Amino acid sequence: MSATTDHLMSLRGNQVHSVVEGSSLEIELETFQRQVTLRFLELAAVGNDDLLSLSWIRKLLDFFILCQDEMRLIFFNHRAQVMKPPMDRIVSDFFERCVKALDLCNAVRDGIEQIKQWQRLMEIVLYALDQKNIIGEGQCRRAKKALSDLGNCMVDDKESGAYMALRNRSFGRNTTIKDHYQNLNHNSNYQHRSVGHFRSLSWSVSRNWSAAKQLQAIGNSLCPPKSNDLVATCGLAMPVYTMSSVLLFVMWALVAAIPCQDRRLSLHILIPRQFPWSAPLLSLHERILEDSKKRERKNACGLLREIQGIEKCVRGINELVDTLQFPLTEEKREVVGQRVEDLSHVYEALKDGLDPLERQVREVFHVIVRGRVGT
Amino acid sequence: MSMEKSFSFSSYHFSAPPRHSRDKDSEASSSNRGHHQWKSSGGEEDLQPEDHDSILRVSEDVDRFLETSATTPPLLQVPDCIPQLAKILDSMVYRYNTGKRKFGKDEENDELFLAVVDRISKISAILSTFPCDPSAFDKTTFSLEKAMSFLEKHLCTILQDPKSSTASATPTTHYHGDFQSNSKPKPPKKSSSFDSLTQIQDELCSTCVLENLNHQVQNQDHDQDSSNSNQYFPAFPQHKVSLMNKIATAMIAAGYQTEYCVAFASFRRIAFKTALQEFGYASVGMEEIHKMQWEVLEGEIATWNNTVRHCVTVLFNGERKLYNSVFSNQQSIISQNLLSDLARAVIIHFLNYAQGVVLTLLTVEKLFKFLDMYETLRDVVEPAIANGGSYLERCKKELAQEIATTKIRIVESTVAMFRDLENSVKGDSERVPIPNGAVHPLTRYVVNYLEYACEYKETLEQVLRQCLHDDKKIELEQDEETPKKSYLGTRLMTIMDLLNLNLENKSMLYKDSALRWVFLMNNGRYIVQKVKGCKELHQCMGDDWCRKRQSWLKLYHKNYRKDTWSKVLQCLNPDGLQGNISVVSPKDNNKDKVSKQMLKDKFKSFNSTFEDIYKTQSSWVVSDEQLKSELRASIAALVIPAYRSFFGRFKHHLQSSRHVDKYIKYHPEDIEALIEELFDGIAKTLPKRRS
Repeated sequence: MSATTDHLMSLRGNQVHSVVEGSSLEIELETFQRQVTLRFLELAAVGNDDLLSLSWIRKLLDFFILCQDEMRLIFFNHRAQVMKPPMDRIVSDFFERCVKALDLCNAVRDGIEQIKQWQRLMEIVLYALDQKNIIGEGQCRRAKKALSDLGNCMVDDKESGAYMALRNRSFGRNTTIKDHYQNLNHNSNYQHRSVGHFRSLSWSVSRNWSAAKQLQAIGNSLCPPKSNDLVATCGLAMPVYTMSSVLLFVMWALVAAIPCQDRRLSLHILIPRQFPWSAPLLSLHERILEDSKKRERKNACGLLREIQGIEKCVRGINELVDTLQFPLTEEKREVVGQRVEDLSHVYEALKDGLDPLERQVREVFHVIVRGRVGT
Repeated sequence: MSMEKSFSFSSYHFSAPPRHSRDKDSEASSSNRGHHQWKSSGGEEDLQPEDHDSILRVSEDVDRFLETSATTPPLLQVPDCIPQLAKILDSMVYRYNTGKRKFGKDEENDELFLAVVDRISKISAILSTFPCDPSAFDKTTFSLEKAMSFLEKHLCTILQDPKSSTASATPTTHYHGDFQSNSKPKPPKKSSSFDSLTQIQDELCSTCVLENLNHQVQNQDHDQDSSNSNQYFPAFPQHKVSLMNKIATAMIAAGYQTEYCVAFASFRRIAFKTALQEFGYASVGMEEIHKMQWEVLEGEIATWNNTVRHCVTVLFNGERKLYNSVFSNQQSIISQNLLSDLARAVIIHFLNYAQGVVLTLLTVEKLFKFLDMYETLRDVVEPAIANGGSYLERCKKELAQEIATTKIRIVESTVAMFRDLENSVKGDSERVPIPNGAVHPLTRYVVNYLEYACEYKETLEQVLRQCLHDDKKIELEQDEETPKKSYLGTRLMTIMDLLNLNLENKSMLYKDSALRWVFLMNNGRYIVQKVKGCKELHQCMGDDWCRKRQSWLKLYHKNYRKDTWSKVLQCLNPDGLQGNISVVSPKDNNKDKVSKQMLKDKFKSFNSTFEDIYKTQSSWVVSDEQLKSELRASIAALVIPAYRSFFGRFKHHLQSSRHVDKYIKYHPEDIEALIEELFDGIAKTLPKRRS
């Protein structure tokens, strides 16, 4: 459609062409800014309980993909303008930031894969403590082992040194024969299942890669377009700045939510409040930062609400299991049942939400790559 | 010893088997027993000596119990044989854990152990659904848990054996299916690298070393040797495979499928990653790829191609065979899911790499490497996924989509590179003509490039077809007269036309119009010869095109002759001389004098014109030998007869003159010889006059 309008306009001669294009561009740019603003207002309207939940993140990614597509459409409609300096430089600068985001997308997908591993450990707990069966010491041990693995896996990467210590104190109070066996067994250099191996799942980034540094690089020297650039680009520099800011925020939020290699969240997002979309964006940033500073979230490996849910359940069941005496009293049985039920809710939420999230992160990756080749 | 499984779960994921809930009424009767009661039951202090007969006896009792409980509800009081068997299992596990006995060393003991495990897992399954003696229940489930822990640990020990990811010294004794003979990774058929277009300009500035521009074929014996090291991947000895199989049977029967799969998947992933690394493939981030120098990335892409081929044709097959052996007693969904997860992770990783490459700055010399990747995806990965059978069922659709997307990205960048080439050809404009009318480096570059592109003819055709889904395709396909018009051909034609246009513009830089024609002839000839010399390129361009270009060459030739040699021939024009000299009128001495003078002038001007031409044009370059001799012959055919006849007819008029050799400097043979020295690219001084 746009191709034909372009064609028609060029038929009318250059002067008319530029006038018509100018005003249509203005409308397009305004619409774009309005859309971004509306979307961020909607995102910011989230309650504290749902902030960084799976569904909220999926909405965030949806919005990102929409915005990115809309910007591409504007660029396509005004491609002649986009190719001209200084716009070409601005676009390629944006693209550099995007490439950096690709590594984050991959790292986040690895993080999601990691959560899927936790899911498997949760499966074991759910299976062992299945209320349909009688729960004995054997089942309880099995669940405890999975819980302990889960606890060890869910330590934030920056503390990876600590997990060795954690591993050894796995069954602190009730040392039993089984633990004794484990300690005796020096023949095998494999000491505890899977924990160490869950960490090396990443295929995408090298060992010393850091999500925090990557975020910093995306935000590096990001500043609003200067007025002469705005004039020279007929305003096209504005959506690029907007999208750069959105990209930075989206990636930052993903890293905040999902386990990643070195995800310190101290990043400052310096965006002037004068833009209509920047207020909701900045308030979200602040809320997430505050959330991350809460005591119980300080060492979390991801601020995803559902991860918080796992941690809470795991803690609950762990504490409970330590106090259990066998055979279980009816009362205890019910308490166990309740805790397991809670865990299964979290489990189900992850089961339903992780795959779509993973696909969406992949889609973001594709949208970014697609954005380049076209231009 | 029977190894039949009593329970199996249909999915890798959690699914609770339907069981009856515990009868609450029985709770009270069992509440008086604490958990301390059994705590010493597995104690190593009262380890019983392992007595096969007593184990068998207890086992028989247990079997009877299992048999009856299958038909009638079990008694509240479980028979003694059950705690006894649990105790036996405890002591067996203890021996293994303390190293007093090694699992996997003595088959008889292993079988005995696994048979006990099997019975205990059946018992605990039954007891967990019936109200019974809680002490017996606790004992069996705890024993079972310990046995499972041990088996899981042992599984990990086997899996993490570093030998499993590398070659073994004695591969024949190792586990490997027939996959090793299946296919060695094929090297990419084309392995040249192309210089960038900008390098032409650099070379032009320096010394005009023309021949350097011919593409350099590098022999990259890429990592073919290292493929041997992976040939036996995964290198598990047969007995370890069978051990893993037995552990799988025991653990999955006891409901420990998730534990088994988690451990198995984690270790296989690591082993797989290691195998790829050993093949020379290092995983790099997108940004890293983006920043990589082309010279480096070029080599990496070759490695990528080899690795992907090897991985898909050899490693995946080996992996599948391993899973088939390990999970032979299980529902196929288990190995399918594990394999799907692995293949998905690996292939998406490969695709990321390709997408990263596509994001680098697109310059024309990258085209062929991109097409190599495209071909690998199309010829190796895509069919492997499509024909992967049930084992990739879970990820088939997603991967097909991912591969298609990656291919589209390559297609888009291929088109962009063609556009880039066209623009470069269009835009290449320098102010200084190339000396002596030689073949322009741009001509060489473009023609060699296109010749090389024709090696990828079919792929390029496919790629270009794909990118034209919009208006142009319809336009091309609706053209009934040329129903099978080649997209590549059209594209090549455009580039050739642009090149020609560019050359015509460049030819205008020559002040000497004759040199202009030589330049056009040189370049035109080079193009036509190259096209005719390359079958694929010839096919693309067609006979008509060649004929048209040859007729242009003839025209250039004609123009050259006209511009250079018509003035020479003019000097030899006998008009104005003929009548006066042949019919000598004794009365008209004046006229005779003038005629002689005219004759002298004619000879003189011939000499000087020819000498000028000789001096200039001997330095001109015609590198094509055939063209050179054609040109010389054509000049000779034009000049020699005219000179010979002029010379023969008029030389005697001047023979009496003083300084005759000032006018008659050259015999026709001299001229002939001098013409043979034209276009050698060496500026010559005239030879000493014949005496």
